[in-house]
Amino acid sequence: MFCSEKKSLEVERIVKANDREYNEKFQYADNRIHTSKYSILTFLPINLFEQFQKVANAYFLFLLLLQLIPEISSLTWFTTIVPLVLVITMTAVKDATDDYFRHKSDNQVNNRLSEVLLDSKLQNEKWMNVKVGDIIKLENNQFVAADLLLLSSSEPHGLCYIETAELDGETNLKVRHALSVTSELGADFSRLAKFDGIVVCEAPNNKLDKFTGVLSWKDSKHSLNNENIILRGCILRNTSWCFGMVIFAGPDTKLMQNSGKTKFKRTSIDRLMNTLVLWIFGFLVCLGIILAIGNSIWENQVGDQFRTFLFWNEGKKNSLFSGFLTFWSYIIILNTVVPISLYVSMEVIRLGHSYFINWDRKMYYSGKSTPAEARTTTLNEELGQIEYVFSDKTGTLTQNIMTFKKCSINGKIYGEVRDDMGQKTDITKKNEPVDFSVNPQADRTFQFFDHRLMESVKLGDSKVYEFLRLLALCHTVMSEENSAGQLIYQVQSPDEGALVTAARNFGFIFKSRTPETITVEELGTLVTYQLLAFLDFNNIRKRMSVIVRNPEGQIKLYSKGADTILFEKLHPSNEDLLTLTTDHLSEFAGEGLRTLAIAYRDLDDKYFKEWHQMLEDANALMDERDERIAGLYEEIERDLMLLGATAVEDKLQEGVIETITSLSLANIKIWVLTGDKQETAINIGYACNMLTDDMNDVFIIAGNTAVEVREELRKAKENLFGQNRSSSNGHVVFEKQQLELDSVVEETITGDYALVINGHSLAHALESDVKNDLLELACMCKTVVCCRVTPLQKAQVVELVKNCRNAVTLAIGDGANDVSMIKSAHIGVGISGQEGLQAVLASDYSFAQFRYLQRLLLVHGRWSYFRMCKFLCYFFYKNFAFTLVHFWFGFFCGFSAQDVSDQSSMDYPQLYEPGQLNLLFNKRKFFICMAHGIYTSLALFFIPYGAFHNVAGEDGQHIADYQSFAVTMATSLVIVVSVQIALDTSYWTVINHVFIWGSVATYFSILFTMHSNGIFGMFPNQFPFVGNARHSLTQKCIWLVILLTTVASVVPVVVLRFLKMDLCPTLSDRIRQRQKAQKKARPLRSRRPQTRRSSSRRSGYAFAHQEGYGELITSGKNMRAKNPPLTSGLEKTLYNSTSWIENFCKKTTDTVSSFSQDKTVKL
Amino acid sequence: MPQKYISVTRRTKMKRTSEDGQSKLPDNTALKQQQLPAYRLQLSATGVLSCFFATGVFCLGMGIILILSAKSIKEIEVLLSLLTFREFTKAFLFTVSSCIQDVGNCAPFSKSHDGTPIAPCGAIANSIFNDTIILSYKLNSSIPIKVPMLRSGITWWTDKYVKFQNPSSINLSSAFAGTTKPPCWAKPVYELDGEDPGNNGFLNDDFIVWMRTAAFPTFKKLYRRLNRIQYFIEGLPAGNYSFNITYNFPVTRFKGEKSVVLSTLTWSGGSSLFLGLVYTVTGAVTWLASFSMMAVHLTLKDRKVSNAEIPESLPFLTFHL
Repeated sequence: MFCSEKKSLEVERIVKANDREYNEKFQYADNRIHTSKYSILTFLPINLFEQFQKVANAYFLFLLLLQLIPEISSLTWFTTIVPLVLVITMTAVKDATDDYFRHKSDNQVNNRLSEVLLDSKLQNEKWMNVKVGDIIKLENNQFVAADLLLLSSSEPHGLCYIETAELDGETNLKVRHALSVTSELGADFSRLAKFDGIVVCEAPNNKLDKFTGVLSWKDSKHSLNNENIILRGCILRNTSWCFGMVIFAGPDTKLMQNSGKTKFKRTSIDRLMNTLVLWIFGFLVCLGIILAIGNSIWENQVGDQFRTFLFWNEGKKNSLFSGFLTFWSYIIILNTVVPISLYVSMEVIRLGHSYFINWDRKMYYSGKSTPAEARTTTLNEELGQIEYVFSDKTGTLTQNIMTFKKCSINGKIYGEVRDDMGQKTDITKKNEPVDFSVNPQADRTFQFFDHRLMESVKLGDSKVYEFLRLLALCHTVMSEENSAGQLIYQVQSPDEGALVTAARNFGFIFKSRTPETITVEELGTLVTYQLLAFLDFNNIRKRMSVIVRNPEGQIKLYSKGADTILFEKLHPSNEDLLTLTTDHLSEFAGEGLRTLAIAYRDLDDKYFKEWHQMLEDANALMDERDERIAGLYEEIERDLMLLGATAVEDKLQEGVIETITSLSLANIKIWVLTGDKQETAINIGYACNMLTDDMNDVFIIAGNTAVEVREELRKAKENLFGQNRSSSNGHVVFEKQQLELDSVVEETITGDYALVINGHSLAHALESDVKNDLLELACMCKTVVCCRVTPLQKAQVVELVKNCRNAVTLAIGDGANDVSMIKSAHIGVGISGQEGLQAVLASDYSFAQFRYLQRLLLVHGRWSYFRMCKFLCYFFYKNFAFTLVHFWFGFFCGFSAQDVSDQSSMDYPQLYEPGQLNLLFNKRKFFICMAHGIYTSLALFFIPYGAFHNVAGEDGQHIADYQSFAVTMATSLVIVVSVQIALDTSYWTVINHVFIWGSVATYFSILFTMHSNGIFGMFPNQFPFVGNARHSLTQKCIWLVILLTTVASVVPVVVLRFLKMDLCPTLSDRIRQRQKAQKKARPLRSRRPQTRRSSSRRSGYAFAHQEGYGELITSGKNMRAKNPPLTSGLEKTLYNSTSWIENFCKKTTDTVSSFSQDKTVKL
Repeated sequence: MPQKYISVTRRTKMKRTSEDGQSKLPDNTALKQQQLPAYRLQLSATGVLSCFFATGVFCLGMGIILILSAKSIKEIEVLLSLLTFREFTKAFLFTVSSCIQDVGNCAPFSKSHDGTPIAPCGAIANSIFNDTIILSYKLNSSIPIKVPMLRSGITWWTDKYVKFQNPSSINLSSAFAGTTKPPCWAKPVYELDGEDPGNNGFLNDDFIVWMRTAAFPTFKKLYRRLNRIQYFIEGLPAGNYSFNITYNFPVTRFKGEKSVVLSTLTWSGGSSLFLGLVYTVTGAVTWLASFSMMAVHLTLKDRKVSNAEIPESLPFLTFHL
């Protein structure tokens, strides 16, 4: 709270290293974090305040207060306070336990030790005691404690590697580097301790990829950017140590700034119930007023005459006051329409469903032996109402494993499995994978099912050789042998890993590299290529090339990249091959594979030398350096000879496609929110069948400014609504019309559209004026993919849909970057069984596989919802029937409050049996239940009334006394509602029998106990009903009355249901079913997209690669020179520090293996 | 935000944690997997219709029987004066406590003006019906015979022997010493019945009958039963009867009415025509409903058959519990 106040004031942050006193002036937050909601002192007031915000709780509190006034009270106060206290205590205990776990995890985080440089030596300090300006030391595989300015590291040039999976879900390693002035400090404590630089930087914010600041040290200023900063939540990788200065700590860190607030989640049924409770309260007030007015009138006209008789002269109350009191006491009596037991029962039902979820074997993942877990027990029925699902990509939809699936070499496709008839078939267990055992260096985990590629290699197809050679040469992978002598690849992007591993298994083994050479073992022979130039990848070029000289002296340019880009660079002679490869590429892309086109060029020596000279000149330039270099790259990457294409599969989690298909059939919209790149995200969209070639249009919003984004959105909308409307109208008119036509339009939009929007555009699009446009567009699209979004943006998108569409949302994710979205959605689902637990801890439900979402929503959600609704309908029906009997009674009793419910409230608990009761519940349904209840109450009251009017019992004794009347009504009520529930029970199981028969039995046993001599003997004042039940229920006429009441109440219901079944809804049901059947049939067909290739070719290019690695390789910055450079061409500085590769090898034997390592091994 | 590597103890509330991962596998019981054998209550058209016809027949039959038996009751009502009486108002309803000390619910009739507790307290007790009615049969034109009446057996057994108890004392009057009679009463509670000393105090039959509060403003209460002796073994013989009524219970003040009813009883008690009529009506309505349902069903049957090939909803949408 306080931090946020301060934050709003903080414009810029000034931090001085190693000077706590100086930094204290600014009162920056320390590194202690609080995710817990309460402390011991604040628990009671805050929790009670929260609980009484619930309308029902407030309502009961109000009733309780009324009951404390003796003039009004007709029920004893403890009948309300006991359940109320019980409910509130239960909730409080649950909240307290949840918060206890949060405290515990906070404590664990806060008590982590980190090494802080204090008084020129390293001291262990708890995380929470780390202050802004401290210099701390991090070691390999440690979590970063706060947002740090990197000062120095074990690696050359002050580089360090971090994994940011917790922040953005990307598992690529990222490089950060220290400023050269500070990297010289090394690990020298005395120098580090003397470091007194002042950092002036931006105020705490949630932008993960931006940082601006200036370091002033030794009279010079150095600008700082994101490359110099290590954020909290990252893990240090491949770096044995590094020193950093704390810039932001605790709640100010970008990670914490990105975490959404924990919100109190309530289901829509709960919200509906709140409205209904208010309505019912209004209804009660009306009833109360009617009865009070009646009372006043009666008091005035009739009561006067009694008064003398009854000695009322003394306590003379005027009739108005009497009416006033009557009003309040009726409010209390009639409160049984919404008894507190309703809330208790609802909670019990939900708890039961939670257990069913936990017990479900079909949601148990044996791979990680993780059962599904309902971590919140109060949201179950909401699972049956989900409209939007927001899913993370990495780790949720995909396994984050890349496998080399297929390739096209020289117009020939490899990787397809054909059966004997030559037809393409699916890869099944029967298929024999290619045996790589002849190759001792092959990666055992790699599987390939097409034997023809191996045969081509054996036959010595030169194009295949060239293809595999290219894969082995053109990449940024680093290699090392581990202790067992196995070749291990450290990859920066998993796609490359897959490609290099594929080449390795087919006999082109990338062995090692130096800044100037690449050594490849080609079918058993070691060949060393001279690396002449490295034309790095970037997002504009979408390709990378290497220029190498082979031992024969030929210079070759090998290039791989996006087909769209590369195909423009091809030599005209490739025409035929291009057509073929294009076909293959669209086939690959159609299967959702990530494709890269592969090409080479032979360069002659002279030409290359000239070009190289120009490149060096350009490098020396001060102005327009980048432009010149880019131009030179363009210049040499032309006239390429096409080799083929590769297809890498970003392996989906099991059953993702089926799950998405069936969820969309259930009319659930799925949005993918990912921190990953646009290409990757789109690719996964296609792979999951969320994007298909059938779609009329895929809108891509990628503008970088607000104006661009607005324009793009407008265009997309125009496109969507058709040209005629937008062109014929001016913009203003268009907007106006749109508002009117929105509802119409939403129905009239035909065809499938998809929207892809990236994080930068989203930031602008989420601004208030464009927000609605975005939402409108997005909601009309079948699929929405948001890429490059920050954790907070994920939450904002969820909030947007949640608030503006009033839809029930579900967010599912696996990592820390999904936490804020999980927290803000109505339902948060965490993928458990993974390394990180934050997503699970923040979630309401957790399970191990995305596919279980189908069962959670369609089975458990639906059941929970149906049961809850049925229960509520029944409950309201029963309560209206029950309560309104009082109301009718009021009319015949001088409009004064009755004591009857004292008896009735004990007959009560067995009247409802939760858990058994299964219909939809909405306001309309509520009114139907109410009408039904009113009808039943009429029957329940007036039949006994008529029958008892002026009658005597069998033995002439009185039977029309109020106690007998009450017993008759209560018994009729129990029987009527039991018959009703029996009719409502769709499926009779043992449990149903036990509960329904049991409840009737319980009623009678309680009735007889209450009316027994024994209990009267013990508590004569509380139980004055002695002998009543026995006396009444032995009377034949009372049974006749009960029977008649039952028949009269139940028959109309059965008639209506019978007619309903026969007449109206069957028709709509039929239509609905037919639609369902049609819908169901369609996606089944589309599951084999390759069989119905459409003419529109799209690129499957999605390359999770980053710029900058080429430079690292050619500069040798990230390499330790084990072998001196073979050629002395370009002078490179080599560092003799511990190499990251060595670290890496150490690391692989570590038990705490990270995701990326797992991946490497699998590759 | 907790950090990733913190091995936060996961809540294992519904899982038995053990080294063996398999133990996390939920039990495969029908209950837990929601696969209890279930019987589906199918409301088939023929079933419902035959049920309806049966119900109709039953109700009609019952209605006719009830009407006949109600008709067989011979009832003579003598309107004395006014007896409509609102007994059931709030002030009346406070349960009478046999315990004198408990005066909590008796207001405004708990204590008299001078502060002595009233016994029995409460408005209902205060308003006791205290007319005396004597029925005489004129055997001849001259000799009236007092019809023998039983005052026993007019109360519920439990009321007389369990609910109401006199304070334990040898002498009732001493037991009630220190209390005063309700303001409307002529005699104190221990002198209600001058003839039968055992019929005094809280155990007075008339008092008990009165204390069994009626549910409705207009009510009938049993006053006496005919003692079937002498001339009256076969019931009241036809002839002239006369009532001798001591008017103690004022009804004019609240515009009430009172009457004396002589009635016989049937197997179902002194049932009124109402129950029989409602039964008959219900039976008739049920029959009507059955016929219309059958008509609707038959006309729509053909349409339904033609659409029978449409598949049921998706298999996972069916209920099991």
